[in-house]
Amino acid sequence: MLRNASDSWGAPAKVFHWVMAALILAQIALGLMAANWRVSPAKIELFFWHKSTGMLILALVGLRILWRLANPTPELPAGMAAWERAAARLSPWLLYALMIALPVTGWIVNSASNVPFRIFWLIPLPAIVAPDEPTADLFGLVHGGLFTLLTLVLVAHIGAALRHHFVKRNTVLIRMLPGTWRTP
Amino acid sequence: MTKVLSLLWLCGLLLAVPALAADWKVDPAGSKLEFIATFEKTPVPGVFREFDARLRFDPDKPAGGRLDVTIRVASADMSIPDVNKEIRGKDWFDYSGFPQAEFHSTELRRIEGNRYVARGTLVLKGVKQAVEVPFTWTGSADGAVMEGEFTVKRGAFGIGTGEWAAADVIGADVKVKFKVKLRKG
Repeated sequence: MLRNASDSWGAPAKVFHWVMAALILAQIALGLMAANWRVSPAKIELFFWHKSTGMLILALVGLRILWRLANPTPELPAGMAAWERAAARLSPWLLYALMIALPVTGWIVNSASNVPFRIFWLIPLPAIVAPDEPTADLFGLVHGGLFTLLTLVLVAHIGAALRHHFVKRNTVLIRMLPGTWRTP
Repeated sequence: MTKVLSLLWLCGLLLAVPALAADWKVDPAGSKLEFIATFEKTPVPGVFREFDARLRFDPDKPAGGRLDVTIRVASADMSIPDVNKEIRGKDWFDYSGFPQAEFHSTELRRIEGNRYVARGTLVLKGVKQAVEVPFTWTGSADGAVMEGEFTVKRGAFGIGTGEWAAADVIGADVKVKFKVKLRKG
């Protein structure tokens, strides 16, 4: 099944979820290392991969949102409290928003710093703001703030998925796993 | 009469010599000296904001000419604040140790048409290396424009030492590009 159904995620939705989960975790590691590494060729290399991965995530999240809008969203299990339903409906969109806002603020930092850059050595990244040090510093702080928010939302997201599986014992977690899983 | 004639002849000679190989001075407003490095295979341009050249050159008889260039290395600007802080250090240009770079020609010759080459010595960060600088010469009523580019290996001059010597992140080749507006003087 490619398309989502009312009780299951289709294969493309699962591929988007797990590929982007892996990319985002790698991206967090690269970003933390790049920011804290002493000035060296390794630091430039880390930033190169961090920026390239960020632009890949930005492109993928665009496709992912289109796919999500073009498909039904599997229903939540019965018996969830109103706040839980609201949080469950809201959190993916908050994550998508962060998957856009983090690369875009990073892109602003790169543009304001006036660093020429080609995504994976191939695609020249155009500047979206004029070179300006205060702008680079400001958006560097915004980028860091959004990273903190992302970490909190990811902890909530993973925590909720584990709670569905181990505490509420429903299929919310397993229906995102590879293979065919349906709500009994 | 002979004296007057010889005096006239002498005057003529004095006037004729500068016409053969004129002395040229740089017009800084119309001139630019760039160096283009690469970061992760992406060109990153820089510029030496302060440089000067003395040129004795006759485009029709280049052989007798001479080109001497001095560059204030500390005027380098790569327009990236972090990079500008970095390049002044010992691993890179070492501004305090080697504030000036120089080029002195040993030979000027025509390749064909308005294309010439200046062979000579580049002194950068205390290292002397023979380089060939090809250029085009475009004369006009009020002066001339000398334009060209050549590539140097940064490693040969110790630009980027230690861990920076590896060329995979910061490329080995640096393109030097110049456009110099000259006035007779």
